[in-house]
Amino acid sequence: MNGRRVLWLAGSFLVAAGFVWIWQWIADHRLISPVFLPGPDRAWAALVKGMTDGDLTEKLFATIRRMIYGWLLASLVGIALGAAIGTSKALREYLAPMFEFLRPLPASAIIPVAIALLGLSDPMALAVIAFGSLWPVLLATIHGFSAVEPRLYEVGRALRLSRPAVIFKIALPSASPDILAGMRLGLTVALILSVVCEMLAGRDGLGNWILLSARSFRAPDLYAGVILLGVLGYVSSMAIAAVEHRLLIWRGRAR
Amino acid sequence: MERADLHGLAEAGACAVGAAAIEFHNVDLSYSGKPILAGLSLAVGKGEIVCVIGPSGCGKTTALRVAGGLIKPDSGSVKVGGKPVTGPRRDVAIVFQDYGKALLPWRTAAGNVSLALEAAGTPARQRKERIHALLEKVGLHGHADKYPTEMSGGMQQRLQIARCLAQEPSVLLMDEPFGALDAMTRQTLQDEMLSIAAETGATVFFVTHDLEEAIYLGDRVIGLLPNPGRIGTIAKVTLPRPRNQLETREMAEFLRLRRALFDFIGKAEG
Ligand SMILES: Nc1ncnc2c1ncn2[C@@H]1O[C@H](COP(=O)(O)OP(=O)(O)O)[C@@H](O)[C@H]1O
Ligand SMILES: [Mg+2]
Repeated sequence: MNGRRVLWLAGSFLVAAGFVWIWQWIADHRLISPVFLPGPDRAWAALVKGMTDGDLTEKLFATIRRMIYGWLLASLVGIALGAAIGTSKALREYLAPMFEFLRPLPASAIIPVAIALLGLSDPMALAVIAFGSLWPVLLATIHGFSAVEPRLYEVGRALRLSRPAVIFKIALPSASPDILAGMRLGLTVALILSVVCEMLAGRDGLGNWILLSARSFRAPDLYAGVILLGVLGYVSSMAIAAVEHRLLIWRGRAR
Repeated sequence: MERADLHGLAEAGACAVGAAAIEFHNVDLSYSGKPILAGLSLAVGKGEIVCVIGPSGCGKTTALRVAGGLIKPDSGSVKVGGKPVTGPRRDVAIVFQDYGKALLPWRTAAGNVSLALEAAGTPARQRKERIHALLEKVGLHGHADKYPTEMSGGMQQRLQIARCLAQEPSVLLMDEPFGALDAMTRQTLQDEMLSIAAETGATVFFVTHDLEEAIYLGDRVIGLLPNPGRIGTIAKVTLPRPRNQLETREMAEFLRLRRALFDFIGKAEG
């Protein structure tokens, strides 16, 4: 069991190392002009320099903050709304057609609307990020709450649990796998939209850093930003996976 | 086997064992115009074990849910402990057949029992000890930290019974609780149920589709007729207690009752 896991890790590490090696090889042989593709060595150097001398760390944290705030807002609203809609059949039937219309709408499509309403501001970015990452959380939460085993509600009735107790002891934990899956998706959307908003509205952050680097042909800086984004996406999804693993330990244990 | 008119039956039940723990009085219930229960009258004495049999769909579960306050009859009344049933009550516990669905999969065995104590407002300090005692009572000591998915069907049903006992019920409503278990486990749980009932003095309303189980457990066996659900027969079980899986089932009286009820079910289904 554990041996297999080590093998997996070693395998994925080798693939990553191979990828970096090919990248370096392409750069060394100038198959692609260094103006567009610096080698990993130069990208790494730019990354280290940006984080020590420059303000890359600041940009990173600006993006993280934006992403987290938007995501938390979306999660709060999504879970509250989703709980209300998921537990009411009538609400579900009224709202389902509207959701079907709104859901496939790419969140970036509402950026012009948001800019018109809120200007090129941080609240605009927050609104767009929250709106975009709201959908996965909301839809997953609705599904989670509407799929609660009816027998469990009956157990709640038979034990005369109060309404809040039914919500917090039965419905919410039962919906939690769906909610967490939705929040994981929402976090990815929040990261993407943070970067897009920073680029479009010129807000401080990694997105803006990447855009400015590209415009001034500082390719190593650009790649440093892209690498950081990748790491940020990876770390945030690992973090939420760890939370999921802890909270949903009961699902993993089978007879 | 006795056959009499419904009111006569109810009164006979009531006098036989003193004050009634559960009383159905002329209960009617229909779903979208289709009568499910019609004029159901029955009195279950305190501490009595009444088993209800009948063909599938004849209204056994419905009658149990009415007694549990989960559904209201269209007319007629139900009393438990002399008080009209207006909804679920803490002194009435319901053991559902589908234990897999009735347990909280995200809570351990201890956590599932705790739910009933939390509902009753038992202070957190006292819960641990109570949970321990309850799990011990149903033979689940040492399994407190297991999740339901880690348990066999028999253990899960034991756990549900422990949660019901946490309510300290005076009435236990059991809907085919052992129907999904293998024969060996079922017999063990039957005996455990009987000793728990004897120990706590609880009144038991036990729905089953297994005639032998009904005779083995019951003081009386009620046979329901379908469309609409009504009492078709009442058999008094005079087999001595404590009952024994081998001896009781070999007694002449057991076999006589089995034959009579088998005939009843055959006619009810036909
Ligand atoms: N919620 C419901 N809505 C409509 N019909 C129901 C409902 N519950 C039960 N019934 C019907 O009532 C009849 C009796 O059901 P039930 O009490 O579950 O029977 P049993 O437990 O004896 O098998 C069945 O015909 C069933 O289809
Ligand atoms: Mg039934």
